[in-house]
Amino acid sequence: MAGRSSAEREALARQNAAIMAVFERAGFDHIAPDIIQPADIFLERSGEDIRARTFVFSDPDGNELCLRPDLTVPACRYHLSHAADATAESRYCYLGTAFRFPDELLSPQEFNQAGIEWFGDHNPVQAEARVMKLAIAALEAAGLSGLKITMGDLGLFNALIDAMAMPERWRRRLKHQFWRPQAFRSLLDRFARPSTQKRTAISSHVDAIAGQDAEAAVAARLAALDFPHVTDRGVAEIAARLSEKLADRSEAPLDPAMVKLIEAYLAIEGSVTDVVADLAKLPSSPALDGARRWFEARIAALEDQGLNPRRFHFSANFGRELEYYTGLVFQIEVEARNAPLVVAGGGRYNDLLHDLGAPSRVSAVGCAIHTERVKAVLS
Amino acid sequence: MTVTPLTLGIPSKGRLMEASAELYAKAGLPIERIGNDRGYRGRLTGVDGIDVAFLSASEIAGQLRDGKIHLGVTGEDLLREKIPPTDESIDVAVRLGFGPANVVVAVPECWLDVAAMADLDEVAEQFYRAHGRRIRVATKYIHLTRRWFAAHGVTGYRIVDSSGATEGAPAAGLADIIVDITTTGSTLAANHLRILDDGVILQSCAVLALKRELLPDLRVQVMLKALAKAL
Repeated sequence: MAGRSSAEREALARQNAAIMAVFERAGFDHIAPDIIQPADIFLERSGEDIRARTFVFSDPDGNELCLRPDLTVPACRYHLSHAADATAESRYCYLGTAFRFPDELLSPQEFNQAGIEWFGDHNPVQAEARVMKLAIAALEAAGLSGLKITMGDLGLFNALIDAMAMPERWRRRLKHQFWRPQAFRSLLDRFARPSTQKRTAISSHVDAIAGQDAEAAVAARLAALDFPHVTDRGVAEIAARLSEKLADRSEAPLDPAMVKLIEAYLAIEGSVTDVVADLAKLPSSPALDGARRWFEARIAALEDQGLNPRRFHFSANFGRELEYYTGLVFQIEVEARNAPLVVAGGGRYNDLLHDLGAPSRVSAVGCAIHTERVKAVLS
Repeated sequence: MTVTPLTLGIPSKGRLMEASAELYAKAGLPIERIGNDRGYRGRLTGVDGIDVAFLSASEIAGQLRDGKIHLGVTGEDLLREKIPPTDESIDVAVRLGFGPANVVVAVPECWLDVAAMADLDEVAEQFYRAHGRRIRVATKYIHLTRRWFAAHGVTGYRIVDSSGATEGAPAAGLADIIVDITTTGSTLAANHLRILDDGVILQSCAVLALKRELLPDLRVQVMLKALAKAL
């Protein structure tokens, strides 16, 4: 239906006022980020897949602009332009429209997000527990009950990979592909059997750099083949990747026990308090021990907030679709007519502010509520 | 009783137009132009109630999708680009075989380290870290590119809309790689571009596409039988 009647508008406004009151009472500054954003920031960060879902248009000078597809990046940009010190602690809340092309699920193309973003937090697990508490309290203030909470933790996955014996370039590739379960699987298979790789169109180039200075060998080969050098990719970048491919040929395969361990980790799920025992079975390393302590401290912090983490669900696989998170990820669902509906989500994203121009890495944690979905469940 | 005539879109010029005209003539349903030779309307002879609209090949898929024509001869590449795979209302009734060409992903020959889509994903990520921008893909096949790259887990790229001379974009500094249509690959080679090992997105040829609901229509049945015999 096109548009909202006055009664519908008022009902949504009343619900959202209750949500925002929870955030404001907790000391979060209620800001209004811009609706129109430079498209580059979204497109360069997330790539083409978000462009397919974002309303992009041009200004009269040909600059690409967009309607914000979510409010996290706009809130970050607000912070970077208003805060005297981008790394100083700041807590914001917002209520505003986000715009996305409808997907197959026939979601609306404009919807209202209510959320909080906490930048430069000093006590990470306390901030995370507080954000989860506020998300739950806001949903309850709106009238929801029977919330189902799912958590994941990318810090654990990264620490597990860091603890394993393998070349650094393999670690980097596994972390990069964590988001794409299929590609991750084929990468694991490749590392487990590096010597059985088929020859490809470029295998002869890999042959050619063996025993040579890679950069000089690549330059000589380009000249010999009469391949002009185009694009900004330098000879050094091309040579570096060929060297990695050469090194992969003689690399010892990834220990099958390590492959099993990664699989075992990704299969971990259950009550947040129960999985502590499963995590304890993972091997010991400084990074992994740290990540485990972090996980347990978060449970304690959730209890301090008056929550019952025993009822929260942990899944090591969760978060594999949400690219910019760096640690905790969570979502909140409620049982709707016949299937659970995700009404809120959030997590930690410590890289984003720096990517957007902050002078150094700034810790950040936040969440957003899909207010129309809340309304749909309630009515 | 009068029956609403169906409209068949036929490419208005070039090889696709000539091959379509030959095929329909061979099938015993020659296309007859109405008015002068330069007119854009016509009809099929040999079967009643099928009008012909001469359109540019790139318009035919869109007009079919929007319901402005009922059937159309066009390249499969254009059809797949304009009509999402989720749209089941339109069906390829016959692959006509002429106009064969592949839609491919091609990279500069100087990228000695890139054999496959998986390499492209790594390069995209490293390029972003080294240069602070995404690799750019010049193409007119925006949707085909997005779907293919997404299916291969490649996300860190930007599309540069390119409607002509796409193969020149990397040398001109307008893009890093391309997605384009090629018949023999000689234009790509002349521009120092190489098709990735798993870079064939689509093996295209001319197709007759139609609204699926029209399949039982008697006129359509007559036409399909005649085309099948002629092929």
